[in-house]
Amino acid sequence: MALISDKDRETIRTHFEENLTGDVEIVMFTERESPIIVPGKEPCEMCAQTQQLLEEVTSLSEKLKLTVHDIALATAEASALNIDRVPAFVFKGASRGQVRFFGIPSGYEFSALIADLIDVSKGTTELSEETRKYLSELKEDINIKVFTTPT
Amino acid sequence: MAVESEHVTADVIEAMEFPDLSRRYAVRGVPKIVINETTEFVGALPEADYLAQVRRAIEGNGGSQQ
Repeated sequence: MALISDKDRETIRTHFEENLTGDVEIVMFTERESPIIVPGKEPCEMCAQTQQLLEEVTSLSEKLKLTVHDIALATAEASALNIDRVPAFVFKGASRGQVRFFGIPSGYEFSALIADLIDVSKGTTELSEETRKYLSELKEDINIKVFTTPT
Repeated sequence: MAVESEHVTADVIEAMEFPDLSRRYAVRGVPKIVINETTEFVGALPEADYLAQVRRAIEGNGGSQQ
């Protein structure tokens, strides 16, 4: 069963057509479901659902592409992006810095996902002139963590 | 912000899925924002105030209280 309703799919498809400019690749890290139970290790509850959601989103525009890695196999790619847990994904497009999502982007975060895809596609944001100037002159590294819940 | 600067990494973390991180960063309400491990606040802020928090984190005057 689809996670995104038919009505929402059409709304998002139109929104992408009007706003996506450059190509964006979503690089996702997941964990393959294993028939072997490893003591002390929790299976990834949201991996399959996150992958399905991203597959549905990327199917709505030719400018979007999804690449899925098994974190156990793609260790070099994961460590280059500082990804140490799943499900996680990053965007590759016209963004200067890195945007990473950890966990399923449902609820309010789903609209953040759609908005971020458009910003990364355009390589710019709707932030004020002052903020953008400040960021363009930034010399120090900044990490911003935003904790959310799926409501 | 991460789209605008190569120096910015933005992480969106689903707190329920990663209770270890939620505990480490003492997440009791969302959205909770942590900048460079030093400056933190809960709730959405107007853009100018958000930028002020980023400046504070860079200038090493972290530990802003909610």
